[in-house]
Amino acid sequence: MRARARLAASLAALALTVAACTGDSGGDDGGGGGNGDGVEAAETVRILAGSELADMEPLLERAAEETGVRAEITSVGTLDATRLVLSGEADGAYDAVWLATNDYLRLHPEAEERVLTETSIMTSPVALGLRPEALARLGWQLDEITWAQVHEAVTAGGLTFGMTDPTRSNSGYSALISVTSALSGAQSALTSEDVTGSADRLVELFAGQRLTSGSSGWLAEAFQERDDVDALINYESVLLGLDRDGAADLAVVRPLDGVVTARYPLTTLTSASPEAAEALRLLGGYLRSPEAQRALTEETLRRPVATGVAAAEAIPGGQRRELPYPGSLDVADALLDAYDSELRRPSRTLYVLDTSGSMDGERLAALQDALRRLTGADAPAGQRFRDRERVTLMPFNDNVVSAETWTVEAGSREDALAGIRSGIDSLTALGGTALYASLIEAYELLADEGARDAFTSIVLMTDGQNIDDVTATTFQDFYVALDEEWRQVPVFTILFGDSDPAELQRIADQTGGALFDAVSGPLDDAFQEIRGYQ
Amino acid sequence: MRRVWGIALGVLLLAGVVVAVVVGRETGEGGGGTTTVSGVIGSEKAEFFADPDVVAALADEGLTVRAQSVGSWAMEGVDLADYDFAFPSSQGPADALRRDNGDVGAPLRPFYSPLVVLAHRQAVEVLAANGLATLEADHRGRLSMADYLAAVEEGRTWQELEGAEARDGLSGVLYVSSTDPLTSNSGALYLAAASFVANDGQVVADDAAIERTAPLLHTLVRVQGTQQSSSDGPFRDFVSGVGNPLVLAYESQVAALLIGGAEAGDAGPGDAGPGDADAGVAGDMVVLYPDTTATSDHTLVPLTEGGQRLGEVLTESPELRRLAVRHGFRPQGATTEFTEATAEHSAYLREGLDGVRQAPVPTADVLRAMAARARS
Repeated sequence: MRARARLAASLAALALTVAACTGDSGGDDGGGGGNGDGVEAAETVRILAGSELADMEPLLERAAEETGVRAEITSVGTLDATRLVLSGEADGAYDAVWLATNDYLRLHPEAEERVLTETSIMTSPVALGLRPEALARLGWQLDEITWAQVHEAVTAGGLTFGMTDPTRSNSGYSALISVTSALSGAQSALTSEDVTGSADRLVELFAGQRLTSGSSGWLAEAFQERDDVDALINYESVLLGLDRDGAADLAVVRPLDGVVTARYPLTTLTSASPEAAEALRLLGGYLRSPEAQRALTEETLRRPVATGVAAAEAIPGGQRRELPYPGSLDVADALLDAYDSELRRPSRTLYVLDTSGSMDGERLAALQDALRRLTGADAPAGQRFRDRERVTLMPFNDNVVSAETWTVEAGSREDALAGIRSGIDSLTALGGTALYASLIEAYELLADEGARDAFTSIVLMTDGQNIDDVTATTFQDFYVALDEEWRQVPVFTILFGDSDPAELQRIADQTGGALFDAVSGPLDDAFQEIRGYQ
Repeated sequence: MRRVWGIALGVLLLAGVVVAVVVGRETGEGGGGTTTVSGVIGSEKAEFFADPDVVAALADEGLTVRAQSVGSWAMEGVDLADYDFAFPSSQGPADALRRDNGDVGAPLRPFYSPLVVLAHRQAVEVLAANGLATLEADHRGRLSMADYLAAVEEGRTWQELEGAEARDGLSGVLYVSSTDPLTSNSGALYLAAASFVANDGQVVADDAAIERTAPLLHTLVRVQGTQQSSSDGPFRDFVSGVGNPLVLAYESQVAALLIGGAEAGDAGPGDAGPGDADAGVAGDMVVLYPDTTATSDHTLVPLTEGGQRLGEVLTESPELRRLAVRHGFRPQGATTEFTEATAEHSAYLREGLDGVRQAPVPTADVLRAMAARARS
């Protein structure tokens, strides 16, 4: 019955579309991209695309010259894109999504009504990039490496690696599927038993993870600065690119026990206008042409999907087992939950929060809302404080106002989250902005606690500029004098209100962090995005 | 389940009708003595009907075709009152449509294409060494369905087979990757072929047989994890050198590739090795014909005389038959056109399908029930 109702609704919508088409057909053929047998193609298509697709820009410019269709790209993480598409928020704002994979999207039954067509454009497996020194030390043969060996090497204390956060980034999630399949011995698509059965080994493996991030771009940069990290798990194309550009010397391997491959389907949404759908068809056709396929494999080091086009020389040959993507949302989400709360190294997170007088009113309310969202016990993995995480709120004005710390434990999760909420509620806006003095205190607090086996990071949120005797120079001197261990603690800065982008960028660069913009986007999103780095 | 079908249908109708309306308007302005016929088609034929040469050949026959892509298995839900024909990609839906809409003329099957399994050479050699397949030419072989299905049912892994190397991607359980049987015709036909073999060579027609074959079909789907929604996806993975070693495809996809590659010279100079025109196009691909397979029987159900005329033209016009071959389809009747066009690709493609058992396809309702059980 409902099907009929929906069909009727679609047809009603159709009548409107048809009327619109006829309405603007007053003039003669406008030329453009149309070939006379269909709808005129739109000149611009709006595409929500994975951040790693920034390297497609030159090719998209050529596509615009060849097809008359210009792609307007908005960068986004896989998880966020999935949410935007499923909720319908993408409707009307975007004509297409272009992600590493649609597999996670398609696990949601609602996806069926949101997706019109998909066209595979290129592929790239998630691979392992090893520094030559590590390879020599381990004595491994390149074409014999397995994930099981990686696990053994980490357990023996002989290997460290970086990868993106699976709850935010597809390369991290693909890596998680790969290692879970390998360490559970699963011979086909993962089941819940495979996940629970391999938990101990996965914890041992992830003990070797030294870098985490919400995006593969930042991860690659951080890896260049951290020569104590031996390996990087990322798209083969990203790893080969680092090696080609001289950013990092890497041997790139696809482990023998299997990989998960990104296939970048250009995906037209059902909400796209017929003109946009036609434009996307032309764009997809161009990207699949031998000419474009040759260019994309040479320029981006991804694998072509057109016959007769050879992969770039740097791309290794030979087949690898393709590990299936989980077949149900239950298993897929259980894997994410397990990673977030049990398998990964815990987080040690310190929030340095500007509560000066200028924060009074809406700004403080926005800050409190953004933080409260992280305390929802039922929020999905990656969007709340995780189990085993140690969280400190350090509000400051002329001085540090307070520094209260909670530890989230699986058994008493709600107690800690309620504690954090009360800490958020009691934030009050008053006084000046002693930015650097407070940051120094944050490092001192961490150093006083002593070393711990955790991803330790600082978030610095300010709506103004430093007004204090303790200056950037003081902080600089303090920072360089820190022990290596504490110099590795990154500061993720949030640009908000009237804060100075240059000042916050400098702090982020100096400490190996990153700047998040909450002036042009919501503060809430910045706090959420930073979860991927904590 | 019906909900999903209905939605997909609504969406496809939305896209299709808009195209049809615009096309119709333009032809109206153009005038001329052509008859416009409209109908619903399986999406596998969308490229054929969009081919400018096909449009021209139909115009020569006095026909303008407005074709809307609708999932073959969803056509039953469409009100066909204003249409001249329905052209699903399988006989099952065609029979149901005939039953519901009454006979105007006999259904016509202008062309067809069997399901095949694509594999890389190393995989085929391992299958052959273990009695699951035989190699009949450099790039062509036969898959023993009964043995293959037994292996999947037992959860046999590649590493248990003699000669399988992980560096060729041959590890983990043995299976053919197929598309979602609830949204894709090829995925549904795969279940049709498998269930026919599992049901002792009888087409599944009742609840008891659905029940009996359900565990096997469930396994065939479950091991794959998330499936893709259209047969182009797994096919492109294969071409790209990634993905599962065994991939279900329509023969027409491979044939169109080989014919198109030769005609367009799309391999480019230097890509193809001497003496093998297809090397750059198809590499080490082997086309396995399952000894029992299901065929996509593109069946046109005429609803008006115009529809009947289109069916006849597609069946009889030499030019349209030639164009169908260019899209990889086998025209009904004499095999010479397909054989001639694919002569230089005989290392990959069978001339005729003698000795390949064609599994009848269950009715749309039965197949839907089977697909739903398999996916659950």
